[in-house]
Amino acid sequence: MHWVAGGFVFRRVESPFHKLDPRTKLLISLEFFAISLLAFAIIQVAIVLASVLFVAVYAKSLKRIGRTILMSAGFAGFIFAINLLFGVGLVSSLLYALRFLAIVSSTSIFFVTTSPDELEHTMKWLGVPRDIVFAFVTAVRFIPVIMLDAFQIMDAQKSRGLELEKGNFVKRIRNMVPILVPLVVNSVVRSGELAEAMESRAYGATPKPTSLYKLRLSRKDKSVMLVSLLFFAAVLYIYLRVKVPV
Amino acid sequence: MINFSNVDFTHQNGVVALRAINLTIDRGEIVAVVGENGAGKTTLVRHMNGLLKPSRGIVTVDGVDTRRRSTAQLSRKVGIAFQNPDHQLFSDTLENEIIFALKNFGFPEETIRQRLDWALNFFGLEQYTKDSPLILSGGEKKRLTLACILAWDPDVIILDEPTVGQDAIQKERLAEVVKMFKSVGKTVVIVSHDVEFIWPLQPRLVIMSAGRVVGDGPARDLMRDRGLLESARVTQPQLVQIHAELKASNSHPFVDTLEARKYITDMVKR
Amino acid sequence: MGSLVHIEKLSFRYLESKQWTLSEIELEVKEGEIIILAGPSGCGKSTLLRCMNGLIPHMYPGDYQGSVTIDGIQVREEPMGILAQKVGLLFQNPENQIFMFSVERDIAFGPENLALPRQEIRSRVDETMRLLGIEPLAQRAPHELSDGQKQRVALAGVIAMRPKLVILDEPTSLLDPKTASELVSLIQDLNTRLGITFVVVEHRLDLLTKLATRMVVMNEGRKVLDGKPSEVLSNERVGAYGIVVPSATRLYSELAKEGVKLARVPLAPSELTEQLRRIRR
Repeated sequence: MHWVAGGFVFRRVESPFHKLDPRTKLLISLEFFAISLLAFAIIQVAIVLASVLFVAVYAKSLKRIGRTILMSAGFAGFIFAINLLFGVGLVSSLLYALRFLAIVSSTSIFFVTTSPDELEHTMKWLGVPRDIVFAFVTAVRFIPVIMLDAFQIMDAQKSRGLELEKGNFVKRIRNMVPILVPLVVNSVVRSGELAEAMESRAYGATPKPTSLYKLRLSRKDKSVMLVSLLFFAAVLYIYLRVKVPV
Repeated sequence: MINFSNVDFTHQNGVVALRAINLTIDRGEIVAVVGENGAGKTTLVRHMNGLLKPSRGIVTVDGVDTRRRSTAQLSRKVGIAFQNPDHQLFSDTLENEIIFALKNFGFPEETIRQRLDWALNFFGLEQYTKDSPLILSGGEKKRLTLACILAWDPDVIILDEPTVGQDAIQKERLAEVVKMFKSVGKTVVIVSHDVEFIWPLQPRLVIMSAGRVVGDGPARDLMRDRGLLESARVTQPQLVQIHAELKASNSHPFVDTLEARKYITDMVKR
Repeated sequence: MGSLVHIEKLSFRYLESKQWTLSEIELEVKEGEIIILAGPSGCGKSTLLRCMNGLIPHMYPGDYQGSVTIDGIQVREEPMGILAQKVGLLFQNPENQIFMFSVERDIAFGPENLALPRQEIRSRVDETMRLLGIEPLAQRAPHELSDGQKQRVALAGVIAMRPKLVILDEPTSLLDPKTASELVSLIQDLNTRLGITFVVVEHRLDLLTKLATRMVVMNEGRKVLDGKPSEVLSNERVGAYGIVVPSATRLYSELAKEGVKLARVPLAPSELTEQLRRIRR
């Protein structure tokens, strides 16, 4: 049954980009994010998108990031249509739509290439309180488990004559009750068991717990950061000084 | 009743779970499916009510191809009791829990009432009629899920790991229920590791290993085949071990301790 | 061997509950023992386990009488952080005891909470993985593990705290027989090599009786039987307490009724047949 949940979890990929410190990846992602946000010409957005795709190839994650872009293309189309409808010019509407795609893809760089483990370290480094980090960790950790629960519950209720695909909208919503109630009850029970297990392993015993791993910037990280910052500064400079035809 | 003809099943991720399964289960049979975790037991029984449809080959229930029916339709004839009751109990009262399926299957009001009362009584749950299923103990929840299924009177009842977490008293009760099913002509399929539970029922044994059926026949014969059991990582029931070690000459291994006692007493006094 | 657990007149009642879940439990566990704890569902086993590792009364308040002493310290008086280094509790479902995204990080969870230096955590994690034979799994995510592997990883998380006593709550109920017997061998191994004392709640007795030094049976919140597994299992009252008696042992009692007296109580088929063969000769 574990294939069911497979699509919802981070996948390890061996790539030089994945090996970078999560903070480096976060920086690159944020830079792209800022560049797309500030872009005022289609050509700029196009350059951002191309650079993101370049990084994606480097990170051997073109497929996943490409899928993210495709999935958000629908919403981009919607943005385009709405703008056009409200009298925003064709070119500007296109710009807004593309800008949205650029923002989505630049954030996805970070999330696609960063393991939940690294994400946790990054959150701690950013000074997020431990309880919140841990709540986040368990939430992500248990997504596949809860998905499996949901599938098993659906199987059980279908086996009691529940037709999930039949009926009108109201009926379909009502059909969700036999699925959602056990799912919620199970999750509550599960969180109780989690709390017991955490207590039993000394969670909260000291105010300042240590960690098996510590984030460390390698020389490579530092140079990548430097290059990306230079690139970022150059782009900003062009934004401010050079007038690009729209 | 249920027929598998040359069935393969491959999961979406490419893992092959069933290979070339040919199996016919007749009305009134008691069948125990054994084998180690991952051998394909659960996948097999999930084909019996259409939760899974074969990737190749055909599964029929009462002559009907399962691909032509929804699970909800097939379940009218084939009821599965899953391992974890918490994966299905959702109603505010036991009463509503039991009538859920009966309403889904469109039973008339009067029949629903009769069946409800019968099921609650049969499983000794009548004192909880208006209570929430959540207040029940583990063993009671298990009985409730059985009551839910029996209430709609399916022809085939599938029990997935029924003895997990059950104490001896609850197991005995379960064995009684299975015997009752047998006496009224139901077909029962039990998926279990618990050979000590299965053995006294003297079922037909289907042994699975790596997605294949590697043994199919009366338990009293197959359970003696140590090589086969070991290859499928199935434990031999203790009474069969004792029988074999005594090199007892009578044809069948001891079904229960009474039989063994008689044999041994005779042997010692001789 | 010294005494590790000393329970004296322990009674416990959960908050807002009228009934006492435990009544006047007396129990002494010596260092190095492997004890099976059995009894029907709802007899108070789980509550007793929680009293031994401190979840009661630290997490579940209620009426608490008597005392539980583990390795010389009062469970009631010490915080969970201290108790977790004396007693490890492995719950039934390993899934809910693996919190982190990799096996290695999960084993480190307890030592991290104790704020041990990184070097020390590293060596404990490596040592524990080696002991339990799960080194190849170090970088695996929880959803990439089989049920048996999850069980081992969860146990590793407990062992990394270096407890003297490990309590297992129905550890084999989700495992197939082969995987279950591997786990039982592991228990034996940890017992002989590290001297860890075990208390195991288990319905499936065929595997465990071989290594258990004692068996304790509870019913309705009280301790009703306590002795060697062979003594307890051949006791005539045992059937009433929901305990699945192995067929070989049950047969021993049946034979006794027929006047066939065997010298030793058999726990496994071979022990029975060996004695029978001797009689026949």
